[in-house]
Amino acid sequence: MLSDLQLNSILEDFDIAYWKVNLFSKEITWSEHFNSLVGNPEIREDRFEFFINQILHADYRYDFRIHFEELLKKNEPFSFEIKLRLTNGKYRWFECRNLKSKGQNFKETAVLLFVNIHQTKRDQYTIEENFFYYRETAEMTSTGGWYVDTVHRNIYWDDVSKKILDCPRDFQPKYDDRNKFYAEEHHLRMQNAFDKCENFGIPFKLELKMVSFQHREFWVRLTGKPVYNDEQTVIGIRGVLQNIDDNKNNELNLQNSLDIIASQNSRLFNFAHIVSHHLRSHSSNLSLIVELLREAKTDKDKLDLLANVEDISGNLDSAISRLNDIVSIQTSLRKERVWIKFEEALEIVLASISSLINRENAKIVAEFQELKEIRYIPEYLESILLNLITNAIRYRQPGRKPVIFIQTYIENDKEYLEVSDNGMGIDLDEYGDKMFGMYKTFHHNNPEAKGIGLFITKNQVEALGGTISVSSTINIGTTFKIKF
Amino acid sequence: MGQKVELACIIDDDKIYVNLVKKIIEIKKLSQDLLIYKNGKEALDYFKNSMEGITDEEKLPDIIFLDLNMPVMDGWEFLNEFIKIKNKLNKKITLYVVSSSIDPRDLERAKSFNLVTDYLIKPIELKKFEKIFEKTAA
Repeated sequence: MLSDLQLNSILEDFDIAYWKVNLFSKEITWSEHFNSLVGNPEIREDRFEFFINQILHADYRYDFRIHFEELLKKNEPFSFEIKLRLTNGKYRWFECRNLKSKGQNFKETAVLLFVNIHQTKRDQYTIEENFFYYRETAEMTSTGGWYVDTVHRNIYWDDVSKKILDCPRDFQPKYDDRNKFYAEEHHLRMQNAFDKCENFGIPFKLELKMVSFQHREFWVRLTGKPVYNDEQTVIGIRGVLQNIDDNKNNELNLQNSLDIIASQNSRLFNFAHIVSHHLRSHSSNLSLIVELLREAKTDKDKLDLLANVEDISGNLDSAISRLNDIVSIQTSLRKERVWIKFEEALEIVLASISSLINRENAKIVAEFQELKEIRYIPEYLESILLNLITNAIRYRQPGRKPVIFIQTYIENDKEYLEVSDNGMGIDLDEYGDKMFGMYKTFHHNNPEAKGIGLFITKNQVEALGGTISVSSTINIGTTFKIKF
Repeated sequence: MGQKVELACIIDDDKIYVNLVKKIIEIKKLSQDLLIYKNGKEALDYFKNSMEGITDEEKLPDIIFLDLNMPVMDGWEFLNEFIKIKNKLNKKITLYVVSSSIDPRDLERAKSFNLVTDYLIKPIELKKFEKIFEKTAA
């Protein structure tokens, strides 16, 4: 048997303090180590009460009394965790337990051990806390963890990853199937990143589209870093994947809005200068006339000049009404899109220009079988058809009966309208870049050309998010193609 | 006044403006003769013909007033073509761009051409006209 002294020194080595309690006299003796832990206090009152009031943390007083009483009565073994205030005034965690007495000799004495478990307890707290933060962060940011064992070709996803990918918790992704969780257009990018990481240990951070278990496409940010074994060989790749679908879509929408605003802004800027230019050209003529009137000597000269005023006023009036046409494009944007049949829109247009068609003996062929109707603003569709048809008739090839072919179709899920003619054609090399500008006419000596139709058409098409393009061969004809 | 401009040239599609300038030139006797073209193409054809000696009339203007916004061939296109043939014309020709556009981009672009003496914004006052002609004749 070990002597008390030996036992003491062993217990101290392990940082274990103890009490000896005489079960009969209820007298308590503290080991030297315990005494020194709590700062060798001078105790005048009852030692137990001193311990309860001065050393034990208030939270544990009630429980400790009960345990201690049980100990005195039945000497039952127990163990629980308490906090004690030490010399430095700080509380530390201890495990308090009694040694079960064995044999008769110890019947009258119980031993209470106090084992310092502060470090363990603190580690445990830190781990719990970290785990809590990790879980919260992962949930809140939709970030899951994953590991790919490149040696045994296995994939591991944590619960958040599985949730992001809409798959059941017990789902085990197969290594060979991993491609199918990525959008097809991103297979190559993903494959390259994984290969580089596996072969050369290069980490990656990608934004790409994944495909969920339910075949839903969404954007993720995917990071991956190599995992090495002791021989510095890559044995796996691990990283996180974050669902950024909302962010990415917002970003794309924002960019889209930005583009629209920028193009509208530049249109407005141009429009402001066009307005200024067109009004100024007339007002400057007026001021020239005023100057000349001052210089004019005879009544005849003055009357001649006044006749010019009449012309200017007429020009000014028509300039303003043309500007009005352009402004009305913007205001009718507030109108709703409705389903319109191409057939019906064309009928309205043809009725309005029937005299022009008859006079020029124009033939109009329409083919709307592939795409019969469209959601659009009716006034726009009619205006677009009107402009393109009158344009085609106006620039017919002299001596050739004008034929205009109109057709609609769908290509790659996009809706198209094409208007082709057999007219004189346009030299696109020379005029192509300003086809749709304001007041551009391309055909010499054509008094009807006002050069505003195509400008308005382009504005209408673009105002509703479409594009218009043109192809043409001189003396053969022209085709306008609108993508809605 | 001593010397006078012999031949002036206006390239502009605004008939009223052209008529008024014509009157000013007549009243103030600023130039002996006047060429009028309603777009850049017509003016360019004249210069090309005179260069190749096709037109009998080899008279070249001392001064050109060029508008920017015109149908068929606008002022910019004319400038780009005119640069190519200018040196082959055996005459010093002063060229003014005249426009009612106050767009700074137009002004900048016009100044980027060496052969453009100045950018004049319509309306041009009578006095200004006189000064320009005096300067050219001197």
